[in-house]
Amino acid sequence: MSLSETATAHSATSLDWDLIRRRGKSVFAHGIVLGLVGVMLLPLIYMVMMSFKTSTEIAQDPLGLPNTLYWGNYMEALASMGYVRSVINSMGITVSVILVVVFAGAMAAYPLARLENRISRVIVMVMALGLATPNFVTITPIYVIFRDLGLLDSYLGIVLAFAALKLPLAVFFYTSFIAAIPIELEEAARLDNCNNWQVFWHVIRPLLAPVTATLSLFVMIMVWNDFIYPLLLLTDKDKLTVMIAVYKFVGNTGIDPTKLFPAAVLGSIPLLIMFAVFQRKIMAGATAGAVK
Amino acid sequence: MRARYSLYLFTVPALLVIGLFFVHPIILTFDMSLTNFAGIGEAKDVGWRNYERIFGRDRYLREIWLTLWYTVIVVSALTVTGLFFAAMLHRLPLIRNFSRAALYTPAMMSFVVVGYVWQFLYSPLNGGINVALRDLGLGAWEQNWLGDPAIALYSVAFTQIWMFTGFTCAIFLAGFAGIPEEIGEAGRLEGATSWQRFRYLELPLLGPSITVSVMLTTIGTLKTFELPFILTKGGPDGATRLLSIDIIDNLFGQYKFGFASALSIVMLVIVLIVAFIQNKVLRDREQA
Repeated sequence: MSLSETATAHSATSLDWDLIRRRGKSVFAHGIVLGLVGVMLLPLIYMVMMSFKTSTEIAQDPLGLPNTLYWGNYMEALASMGYVRSVINSMGITVSVILVVVFAGAMAAYPLARLENRISRVIVMVMALGLATPNFVTITPIYVIFRDLGLLDSYLGIVLAFAALKLPLAVFFYTSFIAAIPIELEEAARLDNCNNWQVFWHVIRPLLAPVTATLSLFVMIMVWNDFIYPLLLLTDKDKLTVMIAVYKFVGNTGIDPTKLFPAAVLGSIPLLIMFAVFQRKIMAGATAGAVK
Repeated sequence: MRARYSLYLFTVPALLVIGLFFVHPIILTFDMSLTNFAGIGEAKDVGWRNYERIFGRDRYLREIWLTLWYTVIVVSALTVTGLFFAAMLHRLPLIRNFSRAALYTPAMMSFVVVGYVWQFLYSPLNGGINVALRDLGLGAWEQNWLGDPAIALYSVAFTQIWMFTGFTCAIFLAGFAGIPEEIGEAGRLEGATSWQRFRYLELPLLGPSITVSVMLTTIGTLKTFELPFILTKGGPDGATRLLSIDIIDNLFGQYKFGFASALSIVMLVIVLIVAFIQNKVLRDREQA
């Protein structure tokens, strides 16, 4: 073996070592990060696991896997927390809020995106104030207003209260989206003697579908999960939303794990299914503000 | 030009809803804050006395500081955890989408559900965390997580950080995606380590994402109400009694509508000041 051949062979093996080391490092990095993600998911795994355990199992082996898939806890929760009714209520309220917010929001955004003057700036400022205001700041007067108007315990009242809370977000979503629509599209329609409404309805509205989808998902997440408004504005047992049903069911039992965990799973499952289906849209919407 | 202004008719439905159920209530809150209104009966004008009481007593000043301190902890931690996961996942495209969605899952859940699950995780006897510590031979680390005034606030904060790490991570991942490939490539050719590339090449370019993330998480955290409400009800010994908890307690626990309104206005002013200062500082720094 000549000297040069040895050198080549040597460098080849050292290159391989390098590759192996890099591969090893990569596998290691993937393992560590997946492990950490797994740790972050532990509370959710714990929640599901606990929901299938009998109270004896929980007492004897608080962290162990359930021996069998015990559905008894779910049966009991379904029977006494008014789950189905509350899901229907939440869905009805959510859909109504989305309708109001999408309609009023898209309409309001149109002039704000097209006219730049003091009026637009003032309206945008009110919207920004609306985004920053915690909802417990307005809950006192809303409670009083609703009581005086007889809107307490009514779907109409809570839908309007939610709509006022979420409209600023809708207006911001739509304003930035409409501003990006080329004005030439409108001008063509105006030459055909379309009035403002016709331009909005026939030119702008059909283009809003993607942003409407994202917005609807966001409003749905917020309305479904919200707690203060329905807690204070709805008291009729038949009008409760899912989260209030969970709160009342768990809160009334002095934190009994066989009730807490199935109720937690039942309360979360509809949105988690939505998340699994629309994951891309939701993630894109969540980060829309970051990409400018 | 007249025709252009008629376009503002389109804002009427939205302004009507926002006017009736947002602007009007805020004005009413301010009006009520100058009275001793108790929900029913006559509201007597008490001038600025409610505000004098808030700023004259240690108790309320302490709650304001607690709210701000809680926000500082949560926002700083969320920035670090989000950046950490985003930087790692940016380098690991194979598991990026899965991990991003997995980390985001808690943010999809309600505070009510998260609060209850963590209340059980934290419970001193058979709670998941203490049992896990015992099983790992770390029994000495067991704590009464929510019952010990020294750590209760941090336990609540930890839950909130757990919940929203996926949110900041998603924002930062979007920021990483906006960094041109060549920059990382150049760093690698220069022999920069992964940490050096992050610290000197990527981090400076993430300014806008950091601004967005810090502003969104700050506003969100200042508004915190549900988690301490479910987890501790403000206890033990006022250790987690944020301003928001006191507002609801005055309102629906004691029916002191007037005083609760004054607290609400203070809260609103704090949120607006913090948002304004942050906007100014972060934008200036971004431009510098």
